[in-house]
Amino acid sequence: MTRSVVVKVTDVHKSYQDFVALKGVSFELHAGQTMALLGHNGAGKSSLIKMILGLIQPSLGEIQVYGNTLNASQQHVQLDIGYLPENVSFYEKLSGYEVLSYFAALKGVNREKVLQILVEFGLADAQHRLVKTYSKGMRQRLGFAQAILSEPRLILLDEPTVGLDPLASEFMYRKINELKAKGCAVIICTHELSLVEGNVDFALIVGQGKVLAQGSLNELKQASNLKIKIKSAALEQHHQHLNGFQSCYFQGCLHVDYGIKADVIRHITQHLGIYDFSLAEPSLNDIYQYYINQLEGQHG
Amino acid sequence: MASIFATMPYSPVWIIASKEIKDGLRNRWVSFITLIFMALSLSVTFAGSAVSGALVLPELPVLISSLSTIAVFIIPLTAILISYDSFVGEEESGTLLLLLSYPLTRKQIIAGKLLGHSIMMAFTSLLGFGITALLLLILGKDYPVGITVCVFSQFILSSILLAMTFILIGYVVSLRSTEKARAIGLLLFVWFLFVLIYDLVLLALLVADLSFMTPELINVLIAFNPTDIYRAINLVAVGAEDLQGTLSLIAQSGLGLSVLYGLLIVWIIGLSILALSVFKCKKL
Repeated sequence: MTRSVVVKVTDVHKSYQDFVALKGVSFELHAGQTMALLGHNGAGKSSLIKMILGLIQPSLGEIQVYGNTLNASQQHVQLDIGYLPENVSFYEKLSGYEVLSYFAALKGVNREKVLQILVEFGLADAQHRLVKTYSKGMRQRLGFAQAILSEPRLILLDEPTVGLDPLASEFMYRKINELKAKGCAVIICTHELSLVEGNVDFALIVGQGKVLAQGSLNELKQASNLKIKIKSAALEQHHQHLNGFQSCYFQGCLHVDYGIKADVIRHITQHLGIYDFSLAEPSLNDIYQYYINQLEGQHG
Repeated sequence: MASIFATMPYSPVWIIASKEIKDGLRNRWVSFITLIFMALSLSVTFAGSAVSGALVLPELPVLISSLSTIAVFIIPLTAILISYDSFVGEEESGTLLLLLSYPLTRKQIIAGKLLGHSIMMAFTSLLGFGITALLLLILGKDYPVGITVCVFSQFILSSILLAMTFILIGYVVSLRSTEKARAIGLLLFVWFLFVLIYDLVLLALLVADLSFMTPELINVLIAFNPTDIYRAINLVAVGAEDLQGTLSLIAQSGLGLSVLYGLLIVWIIGLSILALSVFKCKKL
């Protein structure tokens, strides 16, 4: 099934006077996909998000949302985008209900939907309390609720789980996965790689304005060719039989390139008869570190 | 008020204005400013009675002249205090970026905030100064209803226009600032410049009776300061040209009421355009 393209970024460059924020970024995000936008502080993530929102224009290249080149005159497109900025604290003198009602009114969403979403996000009991009395988790839930009020088809979340406890983070990702199942395209900009790892379809790693890598987790593992670790007590005696696979054995683990994982496992099970082993694949954090280290290596 | 947000027939401008009014009420700005206006207005009107021990009320031209002299300090200051964090505050809390991601134009955001803040200032002026007018009509014998209502309406209207001017100055500075503290610091300097320095220099020049101070030059100097236009409106409106003191010199500028109101409106339009262009150029 072909899913419609929600965001299409083509060779986008962004410069601020002498500073180049983005250099030649391209990607496509389809309906029902979630993308992690990763990168160090100042890598250009925020610029990219602002350009997708139509708040700033690319210096070169094109960004299309639902097939429209976004600018201030295309408000109907903005109506279909939900956004949660980083560290938004809202209006402290208003209650949670008033804040949501305000943003709902600006998007033409009715009162029933506001009440329904407050219940859905577990804020019904606190809806009449002033936002200044809310915990960090409650504010983030309020922000997330605001982002999905109008049931947009594209949602951009900037650090949605920063400062949240594990249960609150799990709640956020459960909601993200529900939205994804409904066909929403979601972009998550985060530094919390372990949380995002199992919840996105692909990742875009940017560093110093350039795309360092992009693809699904498997594609990134393949491309980075990081080692996987195979751990088994039986391997200690047999690892010399795996020399043909460019592997190495140390600290009780067999380290092999991700690209030959299937061949090695086949060999271990079929030729060596070892079935009792554990496999540790490179995490998103390992992949991210790999690319960032490479970038730093290039720049001395 | 909350239900106003959640019902849709309202335009984005009114939705933003409603939120600003609600914020103002919650912050107790509205009640605070109303009380200040009321206290000043009543003390100016009835101070003479306190000294003499009997009810002595000033004549209408003297009263309006005194009220405008005090209001010219207080109105710009309160307008600055309610507007200084309008944009820099939203930026610090992350809601400015959020608002801009909504289907709103920058013009609608400025118009909504201006409408909300102007309604707040209109309400506080009406209540704060209106009470004085009402008491004068009840207690005073020499205050014809028609003239008193007309004079006070003029005073309140010009006060609202002056407040709008300084609210817009507040927006321009707020849009240019990166921190709330810097915004309020700069605005206090602007207030000091317009309300004290410029005014004092103008009055000194008028009193000095310098040969180059032609009526045309005086008019130009008045036009360049909204607080002087405000003074002139209220002095001309009550025919205070004949009063003693340097302020009466402003009233002798020869500018008619309609021209003076026009000048204040030009200030408001000019500052609105400036605020919008600063907003459009604002680095996000």
